[in-house]
Order: sequence, then structure tokens, then C-alpha cells
Amino acid sequence: MSVRVQPELRSQLIQFGIGDWNACYHCGTCTAQCPLSEEGFLFPRKKIRLMQMGLKDELEASVEPWLCYYCGDCSTSCPRDANPGELMMSLRRYLTSIYDWTGLSKKFYTSELWELGFIIVFAILVVLSFLVLLPSMGYHFTRELTAQGGVQLNAFAPIHVVETFDWCMAAVVASLLISNILRMYYKIIWKYGNMKVSLWVHIREFWLLIFNFAVQPKFNKCDDKRYWLSHWFLMSGYTIMFIVIVVYLPWFQTQKILPIWHPQRLLGYYATFGLLFGLFVAIIGRIQRKDVKFLFSHISDWLFLAMLTLTAITGILIHIFRINGMPLATYISYITHMAVLVPMILIEVPFSKWSHLAYRPFAVYFQQLKRYAVPRESGHP
Amino acid sequence: MEEPRIGVYLCWCGTNISKMVDVEAVTKEVSTLPYVVLSKNYKYMCSDPGQDLIIKDIKSHNLNRVVVAACSPRIHELTFRNACEKAGINPYLFEMANIREQDSWVHTDRSEATLKAIDLVIAAIRRVRYHEPLQKRTVNVDPATLIIGGGISGMSAALEIANAGKKVYLIERADHLGGQVARFDLTFPHLSSAQQMIGPMIQRVENHPMISVSLNTEVKEVDGYIGNFRARLAQKGAEQPEITFGNIIAAIGLKPFDPSVIEEYSYGKFPDVITSLEFEDNLRAGRILTKYGKEPRNVAIIHCVGSRNRKYHEYCSRVCCMVALKFVHEIRAALPEANIYEIYADMRAYGKGHEEFYAMTTHKQIIFLMYDQQKRLPVIREAHRDDDCNMLIEMNELLSGIDIEVPVDMVILMVNMEAHENVKEVVRTIGVSLCGNQFFIEKHPKLDPVATTTGGVYIVGTCQGPKDIPDSVAQAKAAAARILATIAQGSVPVEVTTAIVNESLCCGCQTCISVCPYSAVSYDEIKKASVVNEVLCKGCGTCGGCCPAGAITSKHFTDRQILSEIEGIMSMSY
Repeated sequence: MSVRVQPELRSQLIQFGIGDWNACYHCGTCTAQCPLSEEGFLFPRKKIRLMQMGLKDELEASVEPWLCYYCGDCSTSCPRDANPGELMMSLRRYLTSIYDWTGLSKKFYTSELWELGFIIVFAILVVLSFLVLLPSMGYHFTRELTAQGGVQLNAFAPIHVVETFDWCMAAVVASLLISNILRMYYKIIWKYGNMKVSLWVHIREFWLLIFNFAVQPKFNKCDDKRYWLSHWFLMSGYTIMFIVIVVYLPWFQTQKILPIWHPQRLLGYYATFGLLFGLFVAIIGRIQRKDVKFLFSHISDWLFLAMLTLTAITGILIHIFRINGMPLATYISYITHMAVLVPMILIEVPFSKWSHLAYRPFAVYFQQLKRYAVPRESGHP
Repeated sequence: MEEPRIGVYLCWCGTNISKMVDVEAVTKEVSTLPYVVLSKNYKYMCSDPGQDLIIKDIKSHNLNRVVVAACSPRIHELTFRNACEKAGINPYLFEMANIREQDSWVHTDRSEATLKAIDLVIAAIRRVRYHEPLQKRTVNVDPATLIIGGGISGMSAALEIANAGKKVYLIERADHLGGQVARFDLTFPHLSSAQQMIGPMIQRVENHPMISVSLNTEVKEVDGYIGNFRARLAQKGAEQPEITFGNIIAAIGLKPFDPSVIEEYSYGKFPDVITSLEFEDNLRAGRILTKYGKEPRNVAIIHCVGSRNRKYHEYCSRVCCMVALKFVHEIRAALPEANIYEIYADMRAYGKGHEEFYAMTTHKQIIFLMYDQQKRLPVIREAHRDDDCNMLIEMNELLSGIDIEVPVDMVILMVNMEAHENVKEVVRTIGVSLCGNQFFIEKHPKLDPVATTTGGVYIVGTCQGPKDIPDSVAQAKAAAARILATIAQGSVPVEVTTAIVNESLCCGCQTCISVCPYSAVSYDEIKKASVVNEVLCKGCGTCGGCCPAGAITSKHFTDRQILSEIEGIMSMSY
């Protein structure tokens, strides 16, 4: 069965940051030197070919873009300056928009107005809820509150209200992400090709998902190990912070200032360090533009870094002001913190760059499923 | 015959020969042979002191035969013949023994190599004894030139010769000059207009006082030899007065491959499958439209049509890749929104500015699709009823390995350059040889790519092999330079070592006529014997070898000379 070429796919892909892909003349140097490319899952050349030819279904059924961690060696060794590394990056943006059924991801990636607009709307909603909604529920963000002396954080931001909101937000994000992952599974495993994967293989190989999420062993296969380390600090810091904020908020956000050796504070400090370290490496890299992987920055790359940095800084400020008994400064930092954090999680995690936290480990898992796939019996659609 | 007095000279060639051959021993061994007056050796015989040694000895010892044992005669035979001539003896009274390429360079045992050298030198001594003096001959050159074909190659050569003030007869079969180039719109890689280039050139040729242009004309019969040809021409079938000329340039050009023999492409069946030359016609007319009068939204260009495929032609036509890229520029300029597909087998961009042209074209938003031109050609089919295109190309895309279908409204077939359909007739009239692909064979593929094995006959342009405009023009001007050199000389040397027929022995079987590659032998009906034209004869010896009556002798390769040489090489027993 022949596949129809779709030259019009080009105009769509261009919106995701793809430059001039016709420079590639398929020498295969990129694939040959990529430590992550392997038999049956060859990239980047083959993926570039699919893009050039406009083979949409083949592209959407590819796990390979997620198996690339963008060390940039392919772009450095490319004799035609076709920049295969950046083409793979752009392909990940495109695939993110394809998995997303709401269509918002595509809007965010292709229109700065949409992305910034959404962030600002969410930020305003957060600020409004502190200034209007909470007081209307009886939690007064007033001078009396601060007049009691010390920082009354749980009185200002009532723990059960924030916690409920956290859980709601987590539920929305999770349901969006899970539905997108199901679509990813459908495109990669279910729909594409005449293959079948048994339920037992699904269960047996599930550990790969957890393992890859926690350690990113594939990233460590890239020749340059530095980025694996900084990425791992960033990832672990973020994950710890996310878990304590969403799942253990009452344990984390306490009125009383606990001693410095308390796990609550130690975990918080570690997570902050991890975030700052990872952010520092990425931001300096993108400013210096010495490494190929940081040579091209899409607006989504900068927005992601900017929002995460703002979240971290406001988080640190809350902590400093609180310890030093500065209520108003603490509350203002808290509102700012939430005004950045909420849109970041709602937009970045399901629709934009942060979705890779799920797509990457799932891609490794799906890759393994494909390895154990058996041909479907004839007669099956 | 005077008593032979032979001088033998052995060369060390530095250490090239002396390392493996005991030159002193050989010198001593051959010094006592009959008729050998002296034998000497020297470090480099080909050097000036080496040659002077021979010249001095010839004079002081009254030598009348010389043998030099050194390198290959291909390298220095002429050097030593000239030395002999300088010393006052006929250059053909010289023989060379090759003890380097045939001995020292190819052996590892010094004593055996020395014995072999002795054999080779003895053979040369035995042979040279029977050498006869031969006289150099020349023929006068008629300053006029006949050029067959009025394309860009023929016209370039014509202008070059005519500008030197020499007469040119330019004959063209069609009713206009310009050849294939007159059909082109733009040229690659500079995208300059072919019309603006060829138009003024035609004007210059037609108005040139030294060029006589004959359109609608064919060559009926050519005879004669270098410097002195005669031809009968026919214009629209009517016989013309005979012309005489000294040299001939064949510039008969090419024939575009007829793609209707390739079933997969359905050429002739689908009106919008056209050849590259038909597309050039469209471009010159300034319109890119399908047969339904619509602008095509999808245009595919299929490369290597009839080329590089054992079923059609195995050779590459060299220009089609760049012409296809040129089409991309022209289509993109006319139809900015169209999808353009380059369906290619290999992109060949070998020439000056070609790779840059290719790199530039890749940025024109085209899709390159690679196919296997040996195993699986793309297939052009009619589109389904609900498709918004006229045709579909089904192919296996080689760089992805995926079977794809490409929606198209117009397909351009980059047809191969075939030898001209007239080629056999021209071969018969001017006496040149054809290669397996029916192109004219040049005298030497590297060192003499414009001459042929027939003296005074030159080949230029695509009749010698597929080539682009600059290569055709360069070859045309090279041929013109060669011809002007012979005209300036006024005469040309002809081969000395020709064949001669002993008429009393000839039985009239005419086997020699059928085997002669130079058409140099004819049959004299009155004498009832074969006659060799000594100007056409190249001395290859084929006729002598096949003559059942032993009536033909090749000068300088007589039976006696060769048999003595063989006796010489067999004389040592060890």
C-alpha cells in the first residue's frame, strides 16, 4: 500500500521552528554518529526524510524524536549544515501538538499571542482570587492579619483551600496529559502498522517507564555527560517540589518555622538547589550559544525557562521573607509565585515543552513494546 | 646490401635497470655476436651525453645499425631514431630492446633477469640486421574544411577556422542552423538565455565571407585522404557540384531518446507526460500549461529516462541533472505555489558551478525523491476519480525505503542523449568507427579526444558522446586548432611503415579489403589485385596477417625481420 506524499505538511511544520530542511542530502553522517540511534529506530536522517516527503502518518507514528536528547553532535558533523538536531527538536514540538486533542498546543506553539495571552489571563485570575475570591470567602488579606505579628501564611493562604485547588489543578493537568499519552499510544502502537503487542509485554516492560522517568539513562548515552547531570538535578528538584506541593502541602506549608535539619526544609533546599543548578546551566547555555543544542531558541524554550526561574525566585523570596518575619513581602511574593506557577503548570505541562516529562519515558516504553510486537493476523483491520 | 655494422648500447636507467640486470655482463655477452662492432653501456642513454655517444660512434666506427636496450620504445624510440638521423643514418635502421618494463621492473631474480636481458638484446640485434631504410613522406593540405552539422559545435568550429581566413563548407541537414541549442530556453548554471546566445552566432556564421552554409543538405559521398578530400553533396535530393577540402569535422549531434518504449511512463498515452525538449518548447513559448489549458499544481521531473539502465542505455547523459534543476528555477518563477518533485536516481553535479547550482536549487522548496533506476522505475498512473490531480506516480522511495504515490498534473521526462539516427550513413561516408553506444570513437580517449583514427577527420560535440554546451564548444575549437595547424604547415607527414601488395602473388580474394579498419585497401579491376593507399594506411598489419597468398608485406615488419627476432630470442639455451 502506497503512502501519498503531502507537500503541504511543510507549511505546517515550518511553524514549529523548522528552517531549511532541504539542505539535507541524506549522507547519513548524523545517524552514523548518533549514540542513541539503533537498528529499527534510526534517526535523525530517516525522520528528516519523512518530513521532506510530507509523510504525515509515518511521522506521527515515530517514537524516535523522543529518543533524541539533543547533544547536537549530528548538527556539528553535518556536512550541509542541515541542522538535524534542531529538526528533531522541532519535530518534538510538532508531535506535542499532534498528541494534544484540544488543539491548544498547536496554538501555543505557533502563536506567541495565544501563549502569552493565556499565561497573562491565568496570572490575573490567580491574583484576583487572592484579592477578591479569598476575602469574599472570609479570608481577609488585610492589615489585621499581619498585625497579629509574624507571618500568618496559613491564615493568608488557607491550607485546605490551596490544597483543594492544587488537587483540582493536578487532576486537570493529569487528565489532559493522560489523554494525550493515550493518543500517542494510539498513533505509535495501535494504529500504525500491522502489529500486535500482548498485555503481558505491556506489564512486564512497565518498569522501563519508571526507570527512564527517574534516571534518563538514554540521555547519559550522549557523549557529553554534563547535560545529563544538570538535567537530572533540574528534573529531581522539580519532581520533589511538585510532589510536596500537591500531595503533602499541609506538611510543607506550615505556619511554624521548623528547624533547619527538618526534612521539610532539607527537601525544600535540595529541590531549590536542583532547580537553580539546572536553570543556570540552561540559561547560560542559551545566552552563550556555544553548544549546538542551545544555538536555536524557540519562544517556547525561553518562556519555559523564564517562568520556571520566576517560580523558583519567588519561592525563595517567600522563604526568606517568612523566616525574617516580613508578612506583606511574604504575601506579595506568594501571590506572584502562584501567578507564575499556575499558568506554568497549566500550559507548559500538558501543552508545551514540559509535556516531554511524560512523552520521553513513554516513548522509551513504547519503543520496547514495538520491539516485542508481533504481526497481526490477516483479516484484522 | 652493405655489410651490417651494429652498435649496441645498454642503459642503466639509473638503478631502474642496473639494480636487477647485470648491465656489464650483458654488454660483454653480446659484444662477440656476428656483425656487432661495439657494445657499450651508460647510466642514462636518453640523456644528451648518452645520445652524443651514439652519434660519435656512428661517425667514428662507421656504424649502419643501432640497438639500444633501455626502456619502452613508446617512451624513447623517437629520441634514438632522431639521434641516428642526426648522425647521418636512416632512422629505421634502429631497434630498441625493452629491458626495463619487460625485465628489470617485473623480475626479482637478478641472474635470471640478466639472462632475459641477453635474450632481448640478441633478438633486437638479429632483427636490426634486416632493417631497411624507409623514407618519410608528406602530403599537401587543401586549406578548405568540410563541417557536417550546423549545431553549436559545428558553428563554433566553423567560426574559428573562418576567422583565421580559411574556407569552411558548413552543411546542415535541417532547414536552419542552431541544432538542439536552438530549442532551449535558458541554459544552466547561469540561467542565461540560449536564444540570445545562439541567435547572434547563427547570424555571424551566415554572414561570414569564408563560410559557405548549405541547409537541407546531406553528404552523398566522400573520398580521398587527409589533405585531399572530395565530396558530392545533395541539397533536397538534387546533386550539387563537387567540392574539395583538406579536413573534415563531423558535428552531427544527437537524437533525444524516445521514451515511449518505457511502459512505466505511459509517454504518448497521457498527454501531460512530456519530454524535456517538449518542455523547452513550452518554456520558449512562455507558458507552462497542461493539455487541458490549466496551470499545473504539481509538476514532477523524472531523471535518467533511458539513461543508466541496462535495458535502454547504460551510459549517463551528463547534462540532464542540471537541466532538470534549471527547469525547477523556471517552474518556480512561473508557478510560485506549485509542488515540484525531482524524481532522481543520483544527482550528478560534476562541472564548474554545477554543485553550487544544485545547492542553490535545493532551497527552491522542491521535494527530491530517489528511485532505483536499475530495478524499479516509477510508474505513472491515471489518478482516481476523487483525486484533485491528473496522474499519480507510484514509486519506491530509496532514501526512506517507503512505497509512495505522488500526485502530479504534469510529468517531465529527462530524456537521454542518443547517437544521431544518421550515424551509420556518416560512418560509411567519412570512415570513422563507432563505439557500442553508436558514438564516434576518438583517436585516444585522453590524449587525442578530437581526432579519429582516420587522418584529417575530426569529431566534435555530442556525436562523440553526451556533453554540455561548453564541452562541445571546447572540443570544436580544439578540432579547429588542429586543422589550422595542418593548414599552416601546408603538408602533413603520413605513415611510413605501410603495407605493400605484391601484385603477382595477389589472388584477388579481397580478404584484405574486408579487414582493413582504415578503408585503405581497394581492388584494382584491371590488374585483378588489391592496392594499398599509402596515405590512408596506418601500418597496422592486419591485411598482411590475413593474406592467404602471402602477397602483402608490412614495411618494417617483414617476415624476415620478425622471424630473425624470434630466432634471436630462442637462441640462448639455458
